[in-house]
Amino acid sequence: MGRLVRTYEVGDELSPLVKEMTQEAINLFEGSAGQLEPSQFTDEETARETLGTEGTVASGRMSLSFAIELLRRHFGSSVFNHAGTVDLRFLRPVRPGDTVTFTGTVTGVSREVNGSRVSVEIKAENQRGDTTGVGQGSAVVPNAFLPQDE
Amino acid sequence: MVEADARILLDWDALEVGETFETYQYLLTQEMMDTYRQGVMDSEASFPTISHKVDVKQYNARYRDAGSVNARCAFHCYNPPMAGKTITVRAWIADKYLRRGKNYIVTEAVSVDEDGRLIDRVITHELKQPTEVGKKWGG
Repeated sequence: MGRLVRTYEVGDELSPLVKEMTQEAINLFEGSAGQLEPSQFTDEETARETLGTEGTVASGRMSLSFAIELLRRHFGSSVFNHAGTVDLRFLRPVRPGDTVTFTGTVTGVSREVNGSRVSVEIKAENQRGDTTGVGQGSAVVPNAFLPQDE
Repeated sequence: MVEADARILLDWDALEVGETFETYQYLLTQEMMDTYRQGVMDSEASFPTISHKVDVKQYNARYRDAGSVNARCAFHCYNPPMAGKTITVRAWIADKYLRRGKNYIVTEAVSVDEDGRLIDRVITHELKQPTEVGKKWGG
């Protein structure tokens, strides 16, 4: 993959990321780590007993993964996979059948010893307009990935 | 025959911030990476370690409680893990707090591969009265 050289400015909007949640996706996520026991994520009865909800919910870590994808696409994997962070608060459940849109806005750019730290405000919203998660992310973009000064 | 649960019943008041857990190791396979990528619908997803929930794995091995709901999670990317490598995880209790009458536990974990490459750091805030959340969510 080529090196993504670009400028970053406060107010930049990240390209939105849309995810359609399915029970199959939840099961794959949970199963990928060998978690095959019934849980609030994969089994309706367990969800009723543990959470008191009528159905299953997606792990917040799936939303975390989506927020990471949002930022990785913006910064490029060469940058974000080595110096990226996401800090997400989960406000409402994401359930099978939901369509969740992740958006981001650059809120700060500051010089650091090894490049520039670019901070991003993150929001996740479902198809009803409910905010399911909010948070911040950032990446330290090395000078080699920034336009050189004239 | 049902095996007795030898885990300690969580006493939130007695839980000590800084408590460390046994080191946890697992082999990250290509199948795990592929399945994770299918689950998150992202063919380039680089941190399948997220679905392993390693920061709470050893907590759950030591303690039993009423369950939990993930309230907040922070993730720091250092180097994407590689399939076929054994991952070693160190985890500890980073914090605990009471908010609006509800008990939270903060766990933190750092993952390193068998070559000593730092992989990631994860910090999770878990609410320890999950049915309270169910009421708020309205079923």
